[in-house]
Amino acid sequence: MSTILQLIFRSLETCSIYALAALGIIIIYRTSLITHFAQGSMAMFNTFVVTWFFTSFSMPLWASVLAGIISAIFTGFLVDFLVIRHTKKVSPVGKQIITLGLIIVFLGLAPMFFGVATLQLPRFIPSGEVVVGGAAISYNAILNISLGLVIMLVLFYVLHKTKLGLAIRATASNEQTARLMGVPTQSVTMMAWAVAGVLGVLSGVMIAPATSVSVWLMNPVQISALFACVLGGFQTFYGPVLGAYILGIARNFLTYYVSSVWGEQIMYILLLIFLLFRPNGIVGKKYSKKV
Amino acid sequence: MDSNKQPTAMKKTTNFLLSLYHNQYLRFVLFGLLLACLPQLAKMKLIKTGVVTTMAQILIYAIAALGLNLLLGYSGLISLGTAGFMGLGAYVAAYFYGDLQLSFWIALLAAVAIPTLIGTLVGLTSLRISGFYLAIATLCVSEILLKTFQQATDLTGGTSGKNISYPVIFDIAFKRDTMYLLLVVALVLVMMLTWNLVNGQFGRAMHAMRGSEVAAQAMGVSLLKYRLLVFAIATAYAGLSGALYVFFVKGTYPTTWVLNLSLNILAAVVIGGVRSIYGTVLGVFVVWGVSDLFLNNIPFFRQNPQISFIVNGVLIILVVMFYPNGLGKLPSDLKAGLSRLLGGRKKPGIPNKEER
Repeated sequence: MSTILQLIFRSLETCSIYALAALGIIIIYRTSLITHFAQGSMAMFNTFVVTWFFTSFSMPLWASVLAGIISAIFTGFLVDFLVIRHTKKVSPVGKQIITLGLIIVFLGLAPMFFGVATLQLPRFIPSGEVVVGGAAISYNAILNISLGLVIMLVLFYVLHKTKLGLAIRATASNEQTARLMGVPTQSVTMMAWAVAGVLGVLSGVMIAPATSVSVWLMNPVQISALFACVLGGFQTFYGPVLGAYILGIARNFLTYYVSSVWGEQIMYILLLIFLLFRPNGIVGKKYSKKV
Repeated sequence: MDSNKQPTAMKKTTNFLLSLYHNQYLRFVLFGLLLACLPQLAKMKLIKTGVVTTMAQILIYAIAALGLNLLLGYSGLISLGTAGFMGLGAYVAAYFYGDLQLSFWIALLAAVAIPTLIGTLVGLTSLRISGFYLAIATLCVSEILLKTFQQATDLTGGTSGKNISYPVIFDIAFKRDTMYLLLVVALVLVMMLTWNLVNGQFGRAMHAMRGSEVAAQAMGVSLLKYRLLVFAIATAYAGLSGALYVFFVKGTYPTTWVLNLSLNILAAVVIGGVRSIYGTVLGVFVVWGVSDLFLNNIPFFRQNPQISFIVNGVLIILVVMFYPNGLGKLPSDLKAGLSRLLGGRKKPGIPNKEER
């Protein structure tokens, strides 16, 4: 029992990281109709910014994270302003390729600004844990889990209860009609890119203490987040969050009970098989294509 | 009598020469002969030997890029697993040739067959859903393969890599220069094969799908079948390219087969121009050749090797946004622009066979 509880505790922390990254991807997908492959590399870049402020200027961690958030907003604005805004006429495949180009740009920029050495980022709360039912959970994990939940709740509140959320949802469902109705879709899209950037850097800061800050920092997160979106379906905002939690818990259980080397691979194969039966994900809806 | 016969004979020879000129296979062979001259030039000290190595690398990557070009250009699918499948080909070839001591041809065959098989399985599950799932699935497969290269130390040698010697083919011990010639032959054969594919029944089906998926389906073209087929071909090319890599470089390390390589190959395809065979080779040259052969002579670029990588990314974005047909379209666009500039009436363009 305590092992299962321990596994769940450990999963929940990674789950909230995946969920934040997945939310970033889904917000971009819904407002710009782009599968945002560069979410991870943009997050990696901004996590480097956080680490740079933390190590080079020995600023406190919270201030560095704040600086990282500001830089995330800025990079989000910049990417939308310089690139995405001008791709209205580009085919969907072309848009995907553009985000792949963005990956290259950020993968190249990060070592140029911050060097090739891998850096370390500490936890928010360095030590201490509580024991619940024989399973230990660190204060930092509790902070990450609750922070993730709070951000998600705020985001869902904004999306569903405020005028701004209405504008985002209107843009998501049909950009052209939304513009005709007076929704400033350009600003909405720009803000979506900034929000995605912030979600990315937060997930980056949360995952960084577990590994080291390198250009490959966000690769596992990015892949899990994309699969969370696939599992949850690209049509709703809460589907990917659900997908992220299922994915994170399933991964830890499979690696613990089945195989520590092949557990992750088995999970992805199971996921692909699941998609054969429910191609649009758990809560996905099917839209019929028009000729 | 004579004066009458002379022009017809002349006409015949010119017609014959023209047909030779328009014969695509001959063009490919000529292209290959040009490339094959490089080691001789290096021997005559006209170019540096480093150029030959860079060109060999370009030839290897061009094979994988041609596969991705088929996939992206004709079915609009993106694979992010090119590097993973290339790596798989490389490791399979190294294992069969080095560890199992099998012949070169069996190793090559296995290096093509195993990635193709895995690619087909991945395609079978992900392509049934929607086009862009393939990119996500291949991204994941690529990561899994990379992890396997690092962790399955018995088979792959782990992070310290795997080394083999130059191959012996038909009792001939290959060296660097002969290996280069083999690469040229392989690329020319792959180019011919690609040209045949594109201009055959398969190509027509792909064109129909590109025009309208629904209309193609109504005409009896099975989307899944052709998408799967083109993805299988792309992985086969990637496997071949990886195998040739390992035989030329004489070794393979996991760090080669990372996402950067897949993205660079995608960059080459996009910059070179989708659906253009020569354009793809040109794109690969732009991505790898320009930085290695020219820019590295400039100190600024030598100190900042990241710049050329970033430039690739920026180029992709710019090409997709402003020049979607890529460099492959440049000659015909230039010709059209020039004739317009000279004030000539715009002739009704005769589409050449490759564009049709």
